[in-house]
Amino acid sequence: MKSLTYLTASLLLIGVSVQSQAASIYAGKAKAAAVCAQCHSIRSKSAEAPFPPLAGRDEEYLETALKQYRDKTRVSEIMNNIAGSLSDRDINDIASYYNRLEP
Amino acid sequence: MIIKTILKKSILAASMAVLFSSASAYANADADDKQKMHQLYQDNCASCHGADHGGYIAPALNSETLKGRSPTALRSLIMTGSFETLMPPFYGRLSDSEIRDMVKHLQSTPQLDNPPWTIKDMKASLKVYVKDESKLPNKPTFKIDSMDDIIGVAARGKYGRGQGSEAVFINSKTHKIIGKVPTVTAAHIIDFDPANERWAYVKTDTAEIYKVDLYTMQAVRSIKTGLNGPGMGVSRDGKYIMAGSFVPHNAVILDAETLEPLKLFELEGIDPDGKMVSSDSGMIIGTPYADIFAIALENAGQVWIVDLEKGFPVTKIKNVGRHLHDAFLTHKGKKLMVASYDDSTVIAIDLEERKIIKKLKAGCVPHVGGGAAVKVDGRTLGFGTNFGTCEKTVVSVWDLDKMKLIKQIPVSGGTESPAAHANAPYVAVDIITKDRRARTIQLIDKKSLEVVKTLDVGGHAYFPEYSADGKYLYISAGYAGDEVVVYDSVSLRKKANIQMESPAGIFSRGRVKYMTRGLSPDEME
Repeated sequence: MKSLTYLTASLLLIGVSVQSQAASIYAGKAKAAAVCAQCHSIRSKSAEAPFPPLAGRDEEYLETALKQYRDKTRVSEIMNNIAGSLSDRDINDIASYYNRLEP
Repeated sequence: MIIKTILKKSILAASMAVLFSSASAYANADADDKQKMHQLYQDNCASCHGADHGGYIAPALNSETLKGRSPTALRSLIMTGSFETLMPPFYGRLSDSEIRDMVKHLQSTPQLDNPPWTIKDMKASLKVYVKDESKLPNKPTFKIDSMDDIIGVAARGKYGRGQGSEAVFINSKTHKIIGKVPTVTAAHIIDFDPANERWAYVKTDTAEIYKVDLYTMQAVRSIKTGLNGPGMGVSRDGKYIMAGSFVPHNAVILDAETLEPLKLFELEGIDPDGKMVSSDSGMIIGTPYADIFAIALENAGQVWIVDLEKGFPVTKIKNVGRHLHDAFLTHKGKKLMVASYDDSTVIAIDLEERKIIKKLKAGCVPHVGGGAAVKVDGRTLGFGTNFGTCEKTVVSVWDLDKMKLIKQIPVSGGTESPAAHANAPYVAVDIITKDRRARTIQLIDKKSLEVVKTLDVGGHAYFPEYSADGKYLYISAGYAGDEVVVYDSVSLRKKANIQMESPAGIFSRGRVKYMTRGLSPDEME
């Protein structure tokens, strides 16, 4: 019973946190297709590509990494340029979309 | 005095030797670099941009076409790839110095003049993977109701080569992958043997042909028929294959069983403007009506008919049109509808009489793909898609009995390939205009001849194909979409997603029954 309350509470918390970010996986899908998929693909990684796959990766990790690339605290000629074009909202949406995809 | 002269001479000789050796070392290093860059180009670029730098499914890259282009812009294009196209990002695959050197190489290399690939080269390239085909099992090693249910997908692989390049075969009733046959470079065309259900032939963009045993889902033999080019046809008796190349300008007839080359044809002729030209090979087609192949000579604007008898004699039909490309058959295979890019016409040819019947108006830059023909209210209607993005984008509909244009249906963009099936209500066309529209397929109602629905498939959606029973519509969500999406052909509800790398052409084995998609699978029309 106690654990159930705890579960409900944490579910509520997640609900709140998702809502506060208001991430849209639909917007994320469109952005990912336009910005990321060229190199990282959508679901499965190209056998030959040197780029890491993103589907199913931790949402917070993806957000942090993209923001670091955007702020150039993490250096990559190509990613600094690409992430530089993304807003906070875009980053939330993209991270949320890739996180929910099954690899 | 004498000593002095000798001394002088020897000094001269010595200094000359130094001069020459340094000059030739310089020249060698230069040649080595050129050779290295040539190889790098062949290994990474040539499968799409042409082994001769003259362009193929992607633009020509040579000193003429890249004149005045910013090297920095070219470098970043190579690094990031080009969105909305098949051009992949080479960042991390080629080093920065290789990319810079490649830009220099491309901007200083003229288009190569028809590099050779001879019948001797072909013979030397023949590979045998299964020595004794008679020991192969004599029925499918997997469960399937009918071999016609097999759908083959040409998966290009992200880089047009490598592990992702393969022919993927799917059971179109269960939507499950039955087998994958690796093709090293991008698979482009899959043809099925009309006479023996076990064989399929896969051609790549680098002109290799794989003979595939569908019962065991493996390649048994392969041969390299040229440097680039998708053209391939199988004769009605399954005994011969004809393959044609963009680079070099030739075509070859192979023994379908062994893939041994039998006869080479150099492709050249007088074009409709009276000029003698060397020509790319366009479509090649076998027909159920006779033992012949028809081949379109793209630049020469001619269609050649080759009789499959001793010596393989050729009948040339001239002045067909400017820049011919693809075609489809009608009237039991006796009539051929050939697309001419530059005249924006589709030309009806009588294969029996071996002459032009009529030049029909088509949309802008017609690309008929595999073509489609349907019987509606007693009329046989042909559907023609168009590559070009012009002011008005239409799909042309012709009455194939009267050989007359009856309607141009407005669609949302350029189109590349129509799909139809006798048992399905819609003709599907792929919108290829390079923006968000490229994600979509439009469906034309066979009866009203209007667009009634647009499907958002994702990726670069192209090459629709119906399953042999007409119940399902298969579509490649190509480029970064990386999946084939399957719809119910009536409700248009999504049924399955099948993952693969950069899928392109989709080919149902049912095609051998109905010749042209949309015609009856039960009787040859």
